[in-house]
Amino acid sequence: MSAGILLFVVCSLMCVGGALITILARNPIRGAMGLLGTIIGIAGLFLRLNAQFLAAMQILVYAGAVVILFVFVIMLLGPSAGISESQGARSRFSRLFSGAALAVFGAFALVFIGRGARHEFAVITPAHGSVEAVGGRLFNEGLVPFELTTALLIVAVIGALAVARSKPNAKKKVELENPTLRMFHGPLHPRDAERPLSGDTLSERVQKESV
Amino acid sequence: MLDVVIENYVLLAGVIFTIGCIGFLVRRNILVQLMSIELMLNSVNLALVAFNRQHTGDMNGQAFAFFIIAVAAAEVAVGLAIVLQFYRLRGTVNSDEAASLRH
Amino acid sequence: MEQLTLLFPSSDFTLLAVILALPLLGAFANGLFGKRLGKQAVTLIALSALGLAFVASLTGFWMLATAQSAGSAAVEHGHEAVHHVVEAARFKWTAYNWLELAGSGHGMSPRSLSLDVAFSLDALNATMSLIITGIGFLIHLYSSKYMEDDPSYYRFFAYLNLFIFSMLVLVLGDSLPILFVGWEGVGLCSYLLIGFWFQEDANAAAGKKAFITNRIGDFGLLVAMGLLAYYCGALDWAGINTNSHNLLQPVKIWPVGTDVPIAQALPDSWALAINTPRYVNAATLVGLSLFLGCAGKSAQLPLYVWLPDAMAGPTPVSALIHAATMVTAGVYLVCRLNGIFLLDPLTMFIVALIGALTALFAATIAFVQNDIKKVLAYSTVSQLGFMFLGVGVGAFVAGFFHVMTHAFFKACMFLGAGSVIHAMHARIHGTEQSQDMRNMGGMRKFMPVTFATFGVAWAAIVGFPLTSGFFSKDEILLKAKTSLVTGPAEVVSPNGRVAFDNFVWEPWMGTLLYSIGFCAAIMTAFYMTRLVIGTFFGEFKGWTIVPGWVDPHAAHAGHGHDDHGQAALGHDDHGQAALGHAALGHAAHDDHHHHEEPGPDMQGPTPHESPWQMTLPLVILGFLAAFGGFLNAHPLRLIGLHITPLENFLEPLFVEATEVVKTAPGSESFEVIGLCLAVLAFCGGAGAAYWMYVVQKGAPARKLAESFPKLHQLVYDKWRVDEFYQEYIIGNLDSLAQMCVWVDKNLVDGILARLSAFLVAVSGTVLRQFQTGRLQAYAAVLVLGMGAVGCYVIRPQSSLRIDENHATGKYGLRAAPGFGYSYRWDVDGTEGWDADFGDTAEAQFALKADEARTVRVEVQNALGQSSSEEITFVRPRPDLSSGPAGAAPMQATVTRGADGKLRGVPGHDPDKLREALKKGAH
Repeated sequence: MSAGILLFVVCSLMCVGGALITILARNPIRGAMGLLGTIIGIAGLFLRLNAQFLAAMQILVYAGAVVILFVFVIMLLGPSAGISESQGARSRFSRLFSGAALAVFGAFALVFIGRGARHEFAVITPAHGSVEAVGGRLFNEGLVPFELTTALLIVAVIGALAVARSKPNAKKKVELENPTLRMFHGPLHPRDAERPLSGDTLSERVQKESV
Repeated sequence: MLDVVIENYVLLAGVIFTIGCIGFLVRRNILVQLMSIELMLNSVNLALVAFNRQHTGDMNGQAFAFFIIAVAAAEVAVGLAIVLQFYRLRGTVNSDEAASLRH
Repeated sequence: MEQLTLLFPSSDFTLLAVILALPLLGAFANGLFGKRLGKQAVTLIALSALGLAFVASLTGFWMLATAQSAGSAAVEHGHEAVHHVVEAARFKWTAYNWLELAGSGHGMSPRSLSLDVAFSLDALNATMSLIITGIGFLIHLYSSKYMEDDPSYYRFFAYLNLFIFSMLVLVLGDSLPILFVGWEGVGLCSYLLIGFWFQEDANAAAGKKAFITNRIGDFGLLVAMGLLAYYCGALDWAGINTNSHNLLQPVKIWPVGTDVPIAQALPDSWALAINTPRYVNAATLVGLSLFLGCAGKSAQLPLYVWLPDAMAGPTPVSALIHAATMVTAGVYLVCRLNGIFLLDPLTMFIVALIGALTALFAATIAFVQNDIKKVLAYSTVSQLGFMFLGVGVGAFVAGFFHVMTHAFFKACMFLGAGSVIHAMHARIHGTEQSQDMRNMGGMRKFMPVTFATFGVAWAAIVGFPLTSGFFSKDEILLKAKTSLVTGPAEVVSPNGRVAFDNFVWEPWMGTLLYSIGFCAAIMTAFYMTRLVIGTFFGEFKGWTIVPGWVDPHAAHAGHGHDDHGQAALGHDDHGQAALGHAALGHAAHDDHHHHEEPGPDMQGPTPHESPWQMTLPLVILGFLAAFGGFLNAHPLRLIGLHITPLENFLEPLFVEATEVVKTAPGSESFEVIGLCLAVLAFCGGAGAAYWMYVVQKGAPARKLAESFPKLHQLVYDKWRVDEFYQEYIIGNLDSLAQMCVWVDKNLVDGILARLSAFLVAVSGTVLRQFQTGRLQAYAAVLVLGMGAVGCYVIRPQSSLRIDENHATGKYGLRAAPGFGYSYRWDVDGTEGWDADFGDTAEAQFALKADEARTVRVEVQNALGQSSSEEITFVRPRPDLSSGPAGAAPMQATVTRGADGKLRGVPGHDPDKLREALKKGAH
């Protein structure tokens, strides 16, 4: 048993174990920790696959930002971050059914894959997977996607700010003489003025109106 | 000869992907769903890097994985913002409550 | 005169345009602007339009008479020995060429049939237009006073003028389509005028009934037009008369059908009777179709039901339309197309028989009616029956003469009745009660002029000797008894293959028609006398109808007699009087007893004579009714006087009648007998009525009514024909319509609309269950779909792209690429695969000419799944049909072998052929 194989086995166990914890844990913090385990396992496997740069990126971004984000939001939500899964039989059957079906299908597919021939890895140069190699790829042929990704990240930041903003409590209704401005600020259709859109679902609204 | 070949990595990626998929379809907690999506993305990254290790012509696979990591980060940011807003509207993170499009 | 002839040449007689345009313009002006113009202007426009039209008609008549007598004078000077046949003068005016219908030109279909908007004037037309415009003018004058108080005064005159216009189009038209335009026009105006007071449902219904019943008849006219267009190739009078002999041929008709299904179940003779075709004369078909139109328009037996209901319209309308003009359009049509009717004795007999039966039938109904307008209406139907009896036996001039005299006396009677109703209406506001004879009586004291003219008209209609009605009716009856309509013995088809025996007119038919007519004449005398006695003699029974009425002129004791002069005032006051003066004491009643008649308590305005505008037409018409008979005083021949200007005038038009209609043997003696019988009919009928109603004061009538109550009720209810129609015909149509409504609502709507809607709704309800709104559900479906797509994509595709070149024989195959595909080919024609799985995705092979090979390919993907494809290639033989280049064209050598059979071998020389084929193969 060489070190490589050992590394592979340990990392893959971490991945699979972390994944299982993520999807099975009741407490979302435990789930986030499972995710973290998976990510670290994946990073280890990256190292085994000569993708050093990527392994570092994985830890920095995923483990260092994404999982932190998850943890922050879970902390913001507080106790209500966890929900009781057993309640509400409405969707229980369909969910469990689709999950079981997928499990079976997945098992079949994986067995199928596993039966195929085995191909050895190719020989590589040490430069494979280095920062220079990946960076060269990114900044030469992949420059446009790189810049677009930058823009995407900026937009994502702004978007996250915009979506997560809480509504100000009492917006004073401004009396506008200018009909154009009124059109801008007022409801789009006269019927919305009578019945402003609420946050309820249709079924909830029906329930409320019938009561 | 017991060596780790590419099929092992692909198999592992598949397993993680399946687990993530099942988690997304079965769990009702939105946060857990988001985490399952991350699992799936990670599995794809693993497969890409493994194939890049096999076809060493250029670093396409790793570059692609790099982009996936970046995009996944952006997506998680916006997604969690949406989850927060959803929590404010509904008071829970139960995805069964997000059924406004119900007939 | 010469200037007139210069102005209106006979081929472009634009005077007709003047005659037609005047009433049309009057209608137009009154219709559109009448409300604004006011009563006097409307009256002036209407009366002047019609008066000028009358003058124009008179001018045209005069010109025509001059032209015709000039023509006859020429003939007389030329051929004195020959019985002079005067050429009928005709003036024609074509407004514009309208249509040219192209025919096939084969057989009887003409090359082309042209329909023009053309009008013509000949003797028949001219007389008719004189009657129309003349009597029309008198009735317009009458209506100007009768309809004075009506708010829709202008509308009335617009409609009246429009009616005159349509009637003139009808009579002046030069072809059947133009006549039909006028026919429909008068039908329309009749509808408008009958339903003039359309606010009452009954009036509107009567208008509708008239129009619809007319329409049923019009169907016959249209069928006749189609038949005439086919057989005669023309629809104008000249063309029809030229080609009418084409109608004398048999037409095959299957009464039920050629192969009726139920006939198979019946016994043989019945089945044969149902399925065999019958032969009828084409002339019969045309004649009967035309007569259906006439029966509708002129109220003959099956379709007369609209005429009594038409009395719902104002009385001048009844006088003009339903006495003088519109209802005579049918008789005019028969006279105009006499050439066609005369072709077939059967049609003539049917026309005459129906006319006679109608006369009798209507007379029976008139016996027991109490409404004076209804009695006059049934009398009109009866007299129309007489007219058709006349034209049916070939006495066209007699029938037309009866049209004229009927116009005079019936219009006079209707106007007189209108005058009486006008007077009664002042006292009695209800329509039916003011027309009810039982509320009248003794009117001759109050309305002497009306009484005198009505009496003259009465004398005419009952056949008092030397009145117009006497002459016309007597001539009709005489001709009915003595005429024999002859026709060809056999009707033969043009190719001579089919012939059947024609209808033969027997002398007993004349006797039958005469006796029916005679009975009707007696009954006419009876009920008309009853009418006159009931209305004008006896005591006035309408005294106590308006309770509480007080004379507004009670304060002016001396002015009692002025009531006669202040007729208008009385009219205006009675509205207020009924309301306001009830408070005045009863003392005022006594002042009203200024009449000689010491009647019971008189409450209501006295019936008074009508103003001059209403009595002048009565006088003129009465004069004509009395002395108009001398236009065609046929019986005076017996004493040597030939006073028959009308007959001389119309004779050139009815030349065929003189040829076809023969007199039965022994008819000379019948003339005197007929005269005596006619006088007897008058005396008998009138005398019986006098005895019953004056001497016995109506007691026998009442006793009869009590003895036979059911029969009395049946006759009073007009023999319940209307109810019969309603029940069986209209009722059945209604049921059919109800069935269709049910089918439409339940089957069509149900299946097409509601079933499809239901299916959509059901599928929607089912599909809606998938719209859970939950992302996980959608994601599950997404995974499922992706799995399916993935399975399809992963499976190897073994589709081949083929390059084939039949000329060289080289074929190439290319398999589709895919992930990890490996291929195995079998193209060499030997059993088994060529090689093991490899990466070659292409293969080629070659074939010789006319060789076939089956090639296979197997594709395997990275996962070890494989699929294979198999194609058979055939290289066709080379096409040597045009021969190898440079060689002579291919020929076949045909030899006769030893066994006598022919054998053909292509090519001259088999060796050369082989070489040629070899060459072609490469």
